Amino acid sequence: MSDAAPEPAPGAAQQLTYEQAAARVEEIIRRLDSGEASLGETLALVAEGKALIERCAAELGAVGTALEELRLDELVARLEQEAGA
Amino acid sequence: MSVPSTSGTPPAGIPESRLPGPFEVGRYAAGLRERLREFQRVQLIGELVNLRAARTRVYFELRDSDGAIPCSAWRDDWERMLARCATQPAEGMQVVVAGGCDYYTGSAASSPSFSFHVADLRVAGEGDLLARIERLRKQLGSEGLLDLQRQLALPSLPRTVAVITGETGKARDDILAALLRRGWAGRIVWAFAPVQDRHAAGAIVRALTDLASLGDVEAIVIARGGGSIADLLAFSDETLCRTVALHPIPVVASVGHHTDRTLLDDVAAVSASTPTHAAEAVVAVDCNAARAANLAAAERLRVHAERALGGRVVQLDAARRLRDHGRRAVLTRARMLSTLTRAPEAHIQRQRVRLHQQLREIRAGSRRRLGDERALVARRALVIARKGDSTLLDVRERRPRELEQMLRVLDGHDPQRTLERGYALVSDREGRPVASASDARRDERLRVRFADGEIDATVEER
Repeated sequence: MSDAAPEPAPGAAQQLTYEQAAARVEEIIRRLDSGEASLGETLALVAEGKALIERCAAELGAVGTALEELRLDELVARLEQEAGA
Repeated sequence: MSVPSTSGTPPAGIPESRLPGPFEVGRYAAGLRERLREFQRVQLIGELVNLRAARTRVYFELRDSDGAIPCSAWRDDWERMLARCATQPAEGMQVVVAGGCDYYTGSAASSPSFSFHVADLRVAGEGDLLARIERLRKQLGSEGLLDLQRQLALPSLPRTVAVITGETGKARDDILAALLRRGWAGRIVWAFAPVQDRHAAGAIVRALTDLASLGDVEAIVIARGGGSIADLLAFSDETLCRTVALHPIPVVASVGHHTDRTLLDDVAAVSASTPTHAAEAVVAVDCNAARAANLAAAERLRVHAERALGGRVVQLDAARRLRDHGRRAVLTRARMLSTLTRAPEAHIQRQRVRLHQQLREIRAGSRRRLGDERALVARRALVIARKGDSTLLDVRERRPRELEQMLRVLDGHDPQRTLERGYALVSDREGRPVASASDARRDERLRVRFADGEIDATVEER
């Protein structure tokens, strides 16, 4: 196994920012594309990449399904109405 | 009727008058112009009125309670003066002009006129205004208020952002367009406020306070288009700048053109040059590109996993496995296989639980909570109620279809899953894959990798 693609500690995927996770996926693909990774490293990289992609997709999905617009003045009016009720 | 002579001796003057002349008026006008131009060039201060532009010149008057002077400037010079002014001069403003007296001699067809020829102009008190802002900047700096916002992390993928801007301004359209271009599918809370008059700072402060108490907002943009220092004065307001500096939510400021600098730019987490840039700063991830990149990466992984396992997987004989690992191991594996055959429902459920957990953790981790918890819960409940429970819950319950699809594709080619289906990887003791029976006979001492671990094996048959 090469030093070029050090395996992060378990659970590290959760601590990365979105951009870091996406960059790590790119790094993994580059390493796999290079053809230099051993079988064991390939399997480990595929597993790590899969976890990262899953997490990125979950974050994208969690934003919402369609852009939605609200108005602060309407929200505040409702709050005040509710507080008064 | 006598015709005046145009050559030879000048006509006689008024016999009773002792004044010299008569002189030809054109010459006299030219002489007057020369004399006026010899007047000392000075600066004048007064109120700018009757500003009007002609094709090549700009005209106005400078007035105070005791008198007035007509002024004029070449149009090109005027444009240059405006460019140098931080505050744009306008009707009714006190201005200082620099220049000297001039006289347009007129002609047979045009009327003569006197004017003060203006070579430079400033809005009076502009220096005081800038100096006051500079003093305030230093004061806020000495209190450490210029760095507080910069220490707040901007989320790269916020779910809710707020935008404080004019309801009818172009900034609003620019921000919305930029967010749509990114494929961002979150919530915008529009906080419409006046963005230039004397009510602006107070209205923006109120919006900031309301947004802090909403609880769900992860980033705030304050935006307006360009203007003079006077127009943008609201964004150097001390109360506004202190409110932003101490605000728990990161604020991205986009006020005026990139050359304009207000105090808000100094206290905000990010100072963006245009509303479009502000939108891009607040949603750093281009969601369209990110979705495409994710799918492409998933496909690349699948190809690599397939290639890595091609020809290297040896299905072992069931009886051999029974002998090597005992009946218990087989039962465990059988249970695992049976679990897997219940997928995809169970798998999807697992992913859903995981997603829920992630969402809960991310929400719990949000440190920007103001006000007491009860008020917060009530407000959030109201936000949810406004949207109708279904939409919000929908977002949280439903994993996008494309992710499900991607995970299923990946799972199908996950090497680990292959091992779990009862396959094993055979390598020599150094980890080099052994892909054929003849290689195995030659190596003799092998390592066999199962889903749950590795064993060392020896080839008995030679």
